[in-house]
Amino acid sequence: MFRLNLKIAWRNLRKNKGYTMINILGLSIGMASCILIFIFIRFQLSFDEGYKNADRIYRVVTDWKYNAFNDFSAGVPIPFTAAARNEIAGIEKIGAIAKVQDIVHVRDNSGREIIKSNEDIYFAEPDFFDIVNINWNYSKPTEALKEPNSTALSETMAIKYFGSIQQAIGKSITLGTKTQLKVTGVFQDMPENTSFPLKIVIAYQNLYNYYGNRDCWDCINSSLSSYVLLKDGLSKSDLDGAMAKFNKKYYADKKIEGNQVNRLQALKDIHFDGRYDNFANATIARSEIYGLAIIGLFLICTACINFINLNTAQAINRSKEVGVRKVMGGKRKQLIVQFLTETVVLVLIALLVACIISELLIPAMQNLFKNQITFSLFGHPVIFLFMALLVVFVGFLAGFYPAMIMSGFNPALAIKNKVALNNNGLSLRKILVVVQFTITIILIIGTIIIVKQMDYLQQKPLGFNSSTVVMVGMPGDKISKGKHNVFKERVLKIPGVQLLSYCQSPPLSQDINSTNFTFNGTKNKDFEVRTCKADEDYFRLFDLKIVAGKIFKKSDTANGYVVNETFLKKVGITNPENALGKMINASGVNIPIVGVVKDFNDKSLKERISGLAISADKNQYWQAAIKLDGTQLLSTSKQIQALWSNTFPDNVYDANFVDDKIKSYYESEQVMGTLFKVFACVIIFISFIGLFGLISFVATQRTKEVAIRKVLGASTIELVKMLNGSFIAMVFVANLVAWPLAYLFVSKWLDTFAYRIHLSIWPFILAMLISMTITLITVSIRSYKAANANTIDALKYE
Amino acid sequence: MIQLTNIEKYYANKGVKNYVLRLVTTTINQGEFVSIMGPSGAGKSTLLNIIGMLEEPTYGTYNFLGEDVTSLNERKRIELYRNHIGFVFQAYHLIDEMTVYENIEAPLLYKKVGSSERASRIADLLDRFNIVAKKDLFPNQLSGGQQQLVGIARALAAQPSIILADEPTGNLQSAQAEEIMALFKKLNQEDGITIIQVTHSEKNAQYGNRILHIADGIVKEDVAVIA
Repeated sequence: MFRLNLKIAWRNLRKNKGYTMINILGLSIGMASCILIFIFIRFQLSFDEGYKNADRIYRVVTDWKYNAFNDFSAGVPIPFTAAARNEIAGIEKIGAIAKVQDIVHVRDNSGREIIKSNEDIYFAEPDFFDIVNINWNYSKPTEALKEPNSTALSETMAIKYFGSIQQAIGKSITLGTKTQLKVTGVFQDMPENTSFPLKIVIAYQNLYNYYGNRDCWDCINSSLSSYVLLKDGLSKSDLDGAMAKFNKKYYADKKIEGNQVNRLQALKDIHFDGRYDNFANATIARSEIYGLAIIGLFLICTACINFINLNTAQAINRSKEVGVRKVMGGKRKQLIVQFLTETVVLVLIALLVACIISELLIPAMQNLFKNQITFSLFGHPVIFLFMALLVVFVGFLAGFYPAMIMSGFNPALAIKNKVALNNNGLSLRKILVVVQFTITIILIIGTIIIVKQMDYLQQKPLGFNSSTVVMVGMPGDKISKGKHNVFKERVLKIPGVQLLSYCQSPPLSQDINSTNFTFNGTKNKDFEVRTCKADEDYFRLFDLKIVAGKIFKKSDTANGYVVNETFLKKVGITNPENALGKMINASGVNIPIVGVVKDFNDKSLKERISGLAISADKNQYWQAAIKLDGTQLLSTSKQIQALWSNTFPDNVYDANFVDDKIKSYYESEQVMGTLFKVFACVIIFISFIGLFGLISFVATQRTKEVAIRKVLGASTIELVKMLNGSFIAMVFVANLVAWPLAYLFVSKWLDTFAYRIHLSIWPFILAMLISMTITLITVSIRSYKAANANTIDALKYE
Repeated sequence: MIQLTNIEKYYANKGVKNYVLRLVTTTINQGEFVSIMGPSGAGKSTLLNIIGMLEEPTYGTYNFLGEDVTSLNERKRIELYRNHIGFVFQAYHLIDEMTVYENIEAPLLYKKVGSSERASRIADLLDRFNIVAKKDLFPNQLSGGQQQLVGIARALAAQPSIILADEPTGNLQSAQAEEIMALFKKLNQEDGITIIQVTHSEKNAQYGNRILHIADGIVKEDVAVIA
């Protein structure tokens, strides 16, 4: 029976090639989208999975509660780990791990330097690896990281530096300018889906070369973190008391500002909590994952709605078969099974096509994420389970309703092809079409708004001119700092270079240093001032306008502040002239305001301009901003690089254009924009197919009516109008339903930007025009054919 | 075998009852070959549909094999279809997607007949109707007469005790029609299968042994055919 069902299914699909193609096309595109979304979501959810005792592993983070704002850091004070180890009951293990960037030199046997590169370096206590278990190829953490100046490398790094794991052991690498490290261990490469992308791990004692102040409880850097393993059987809440006691002793009792506290964050939350940094610099909000999953569900539902509509449209052609089978003794259940078999066969074919589509699209998807992630279709066995569930889900969702309808035909009527479908069926079908188009229109509106907002961000004047400005990283050691003047002199001699300014960061940057301060003798409690260190050429180079006073005098240390207008507004000064001479005391330096600069956007346009104070401080010039004249960028850049490498031979050249960097702050929005465009196209396409199916259904059902009307003298245009009417109405209703929903969605999204487009009615109108036009075209193609059909064919059987 | 008592069928439309059948009472015994005749719209097909349990009468009782089947649930009705009743249609109603062989096999599958038994019964039918060579063809590759042969073979496959035929030769040319009618007669006489057919043709009715004349929903005449 089953084999026969399969055979019949196959023949039916082949017989109605057109419908089958449409169905497979729609379903496979929907399924491919779902598969790709699933692969992405699975990758995201798999972060930091599979460690032993994963549910007992926590990271210690630091929170602040100021009057005006809250602050969060993934770091802990340096003395925290040692103190917590002894004082917090319930901790089985605690281990500190810190990350810095520095230059690693590798020399061959003859002492010649073969590799010089800027690397992320981790300093870890051996205990860390008792908490976060990873496999070691050689040695073990307790031995390899016991002594200072010892280091462990990942397999890949060991092979990169020394050719093989065996050869790496016992060799040495140089960190920075002089620290010699001995390779004492090799561990397995970390996977891509980890928040700990460890490559070079060094004994924790060496960290103190970078951070001198070992007892500071209110110096917190997000790169210095601490992980704990709770005792077996304990949960986070069991430690609440101990944590509170600890926080009181070290922060409240010491009167540390901002109500600073430490708390535990579960390992499985690290990847999903955007408030805290992590070593991999990769977080994704759970809401984004859910959003994506919902879009996937929408896509597959739209595809299923198509299938339902097309199949019920075809049902009438099968009515004779249903009737005959029933009088031969077929039960309704057996007929349902038969129709579901057909659906499942179709869905399986669609799945095959979907796999091919997914495989073809995976490179594009990796490209979307800048190739930082490798996706593969069958990379994880759970994909098979997902596909099986997808087939069952789609098979039932799409197949069940048509199967119920068809198997429910009254045999006496069915045999005579007299079944009536419009009474019970069309209302549901109408609802389905409205739902389908509501989803489509929401996506169209969303896409239009996202594209417009992204255009707006790109075109909005930021208040400074950063075109053809390249930022070059400057080494931080004393000897190099001594060469700043010489380097500047030589760079300015290169043809095509206009200006050079040493500074901490470009005008718009997400690397933020902020501090509390005293203004004119009164302590400010409302906000922290953002500080920016730069030399006097900074203003000319970035074309920043001074509205009052003047730029501070050339100096290696701070001698005066140039503040922005927002700062004045925040401290309540209306006339910029009045601010001149007022004293700002921050970070232990008390100097006057000498100038006021016109506001410019110092953060991405998602945020408002902060209160800012610019001053000189040679010790914090990490970068050189170099303004090139636009004509010969490439050759000038090359000359700058050559000069730089000559001047600072121990370091690695690192440069990028300010404009590129600014663009990178909107990367996630850009990805979102691309995704929306793709999904909108997919859903428009699927809906288009579905509409075509439905008009075919209506046209078939009303063939006789059309023929009679034609005999009575109706023109083709009148008939097309009659057939189109209900569809235009349905899409119109869908527009009305979609508008408020889309409005809620887009205004919520736009609220994440401080600078946003004004939400006008035009995107909504445009979406309506698009959807109505597509409907009209799709429907007219088929209804014209129906209206133009030969009248005799429709009437002769009666 | 079939006992109809005071069968009435009407369609109510805005309070007006349109009668299709009125007070039909008749008995059909095992082994009879009954032809139902009458003008268009007389209620012939409705009567046959009621006998075939495809429609329910509005009033009256219907006993099939001594069991009241006036309002039977689906499961029991299907049991009767599987074991006792074979249908033959004017438009043949073969399933287009299935070959001749598969069409004949279908009722046996529903009846859950074992595969070797199935094969031998089908082979027997194909042989008997001289359509062995056509067993792998699809219905649209056959002539009308051949399709109706397959239709009859399909109706016989489940070895029913009664065949209900609604104008079985209505779409056929006379030569083919005669062939089909001769077959019916043979089935009736040699195999003892009860046959009820609806027909317009006096000639076809002569093949049977009893004629029910119906007009305006009423049995006007019930005559035996003298061979």
